[in-house]
Amino acid sequence: MIKGSGIEIRAVSHRYKSAPENTLSEINLNIYDSDVFGLLGPNGAGKTTLISILCGIFPASSGVIRFFDKGTEVSDQGRRSLIGFVPQEYAFYQELSPRQNLDYFGAMYNLSKDRLVTRREELLDVLGLSKVADKPVGTFSGGMKRRVNLAIGIIHQPGILFLDEPTVGVDVQSKNAIIRYLQHLNQQGTTIVYTSHHMSEAEEFCNRIALIDHGTVIAEGELEELKLSHAANDLQSLFIKLTGEAYRD
Amino acid sequence: MFKIVASIKKEVLLLINDRVGLALMFLMPLLLVFIITIIQDSVYKVVNENRIPLLVMNQDDGRLGGKLIAVLNNSGLFEIDSVAGDSDQNLKSELLAKGKMIALYVPKSFSAGLESNAGSVSQILMSDLGLEHDSTQRARVETPSLTFFHDPVLQDNYIISVMGVIQSYLGIISNALMIDNMYKDLDMGSQSDRLAKEIMENQVKINKVVATNDRSMAVPNSTQHNVPAWTIFAMFFMVVSLGSNIVKERVNGSFLRLKTMPTSFMVVMFSKMTVYVVVAILQVVVTFSMGIWVLPHFGLPTLTLPGNFLAFASVVFMSSMAAVSYALLIGSFAHTQEQANGFGAVSIVIFGAIGGILVPTFVMPAYMQSISNISPLHWCLEGFYILFLKRGSWHELQRVFLFLAIFISICQLCTYLKLKVEKIVS
Repeated sequence: MIKGSGIEIRAVSHRYKSAPENTLSEINLNIYDSDVFGLLGPNGAGKTTLISILCGIFPASSGVIRFFDKGTEVSDQGRRSLIGFVPQEYAFYQELSPRQNLDYFGAMYNLSKDRLVTRREELLDVLGLSKVADKPVGTFSGGMKRRVNLAIGIIHQPGILFLDEPTVGVDVQSKNAIIRYLQHLNQQGTTIVYTSHHMSEAEEFCNRIALIDHGTVIAEGELEELKLSHAANDLQSLFIKLTGEAYRD
Repeated sequence: MFKIVASIKKEVLLLINDRVGLALMFLMPLLLVFIITIIQDSVYKVVNENRIPLLVMNQDDGRLGGKLIAVLNNSGLFEIDSVAGDSDQNLKSELLAKGKMIALYVPKSFSAGLESNAGSVSQILMSDLGLEHDSTQRARVETPSLTFFHDPVLQDNYIISVMGVIQSYLGIISNALMIDNMYKDLDMGSQSDRLAKEIMENQVKINKVVATNDRSMAVPNSTQHNVPAWTIFAMFFMVVSLGSNIVKERVNGSFLRLKTMPTSFMVVMFSKMTVYVVVAILQVVVTFSMGIWVLPHFGLPTLTLPGNFLAFASVVFMSSMAAVSYALLIGSFAHTQEQANGFGAVSIVIFGAIGGILVPTFVMPAYMQSISNISPLHWCLEGFYILFLKRGSWHELQRVFLFLAIFISICQLCTYLKLKVEKIVS
């Protein structure tokens, strides 16, 4: 049983129909309340597959996943209200403005009209989008689009937030704004599950990590403990030590 | 409810931003209706109107050429337009220049030839009866030929019908002439009228009965065909806008994001259907308004709305649903926007051609008329034909609604199964 908002993952395996072998094999993880949990690994390790399964985009081939909200296990419908998802790609309508996108996705998260307006204006302000709130997102820079992508995923103040490489391809200022706001969310009690290839960013941001390679968890725990136990100076050294230096496709 | 309203609002905003799609959906049918109706109007007039426009050049030296033209004119079947000139080639040029469909050339020797024929027949008869007759040998003039010009777009059966009518009037003149000649040879010239009258009045009559439900004739004019036809075409052409809208959402991750949210995907699909059905109804309002208020200013027939408004609304709704369902199907199966646009547009043009949008099915060969039944556009058009031309009852519309309901169900089911396979709906 997990206290607060968290996830219990037991023996989760997955194989895509056309794949010769499992993409994920016997994954066992606990993600605790208010964790900033880094799901790290080289290309093709299975991070996006695991996040997709956790978000309910498709089911795992086998295994059990339990979601907890305030210490109580939630149903599938409860899970959908509990989680927020910020995918790697820009999953919104480029023709619409940030305000129109937030109105639509906020309504899909069952927010009341008043609550939606409050949250929308709050996020536009915090993420520096107020001045462009009525312009089509398609005209924005990469950094601004990332911030819109993030705003949509957190408009309903999720208990658990999944972020699939939220800062890829953005400038330092946008990256800083995104990470700062995520830290603020975490301090307010949001559990964050995060994937990234930026090791320094992950080291600064995460308190616990799981290193995945070839579909299995090769290391999991408090970041500082892991560095100590593997005699690594930083997360990047730990990563190279555990996954090797060979190229990954 | 708030979700549905928000989802509908999103669809409307996306639609407003799709300028090309809007132009295709609203400007295209207006232009097509306007252009094609003007182009096809003369052809429809030929098929439709009681009086057939006929260009005539009479070069006859005698009185019978004029008599033939007078008989044709008095028949009420033709609208005679006489042209001056000195050869059949002049008439052909006039036909092409005036944009008419048929013309008749009466040669110089027409009267002489007919009279010569009648004289020969009379002589043979008198001889066979052993009666005295004028033994002076009359100069033999070759049997005259009329020349009939026609536009290549006319169907053979139409040409044969018109020629048959002319031939029958020619027969009347010819027979009267023969009777006259015989009576003259018998020195009873003043008494020929009685026999001629008897022959003419005692012909076998053919009773014409119209076989429609309310005894009204159902032949479309250019407006009655083109306005509903191109409106239906434009309704189905929304596959370009709606189909690519769905592909875009599938590809850009919006659908993926929706899967993680506490919402049913059916809300999204219902919103899309609602918005695009309203768009289709607006298309009907816009193009039909053009048929009612604009086309008459260009000398084209006015579109008159059918009296049974509920049946009219039902045909519009079923046609809209068929068009939207087809667009959903294409949108769910296409992998890229290019596929949705390309396949969607080409398939609609083919369905339109088969279904009688470009050329009405009633002028198609029999086997093409059978093939047209596979086109949903044909059934939509058939629904409008029943409303506009046959003042059809619900009973007549049943077949149309049945086919469209089957088509809509198949499209919706295939869309659902495809989205289920892709795990977009559970």
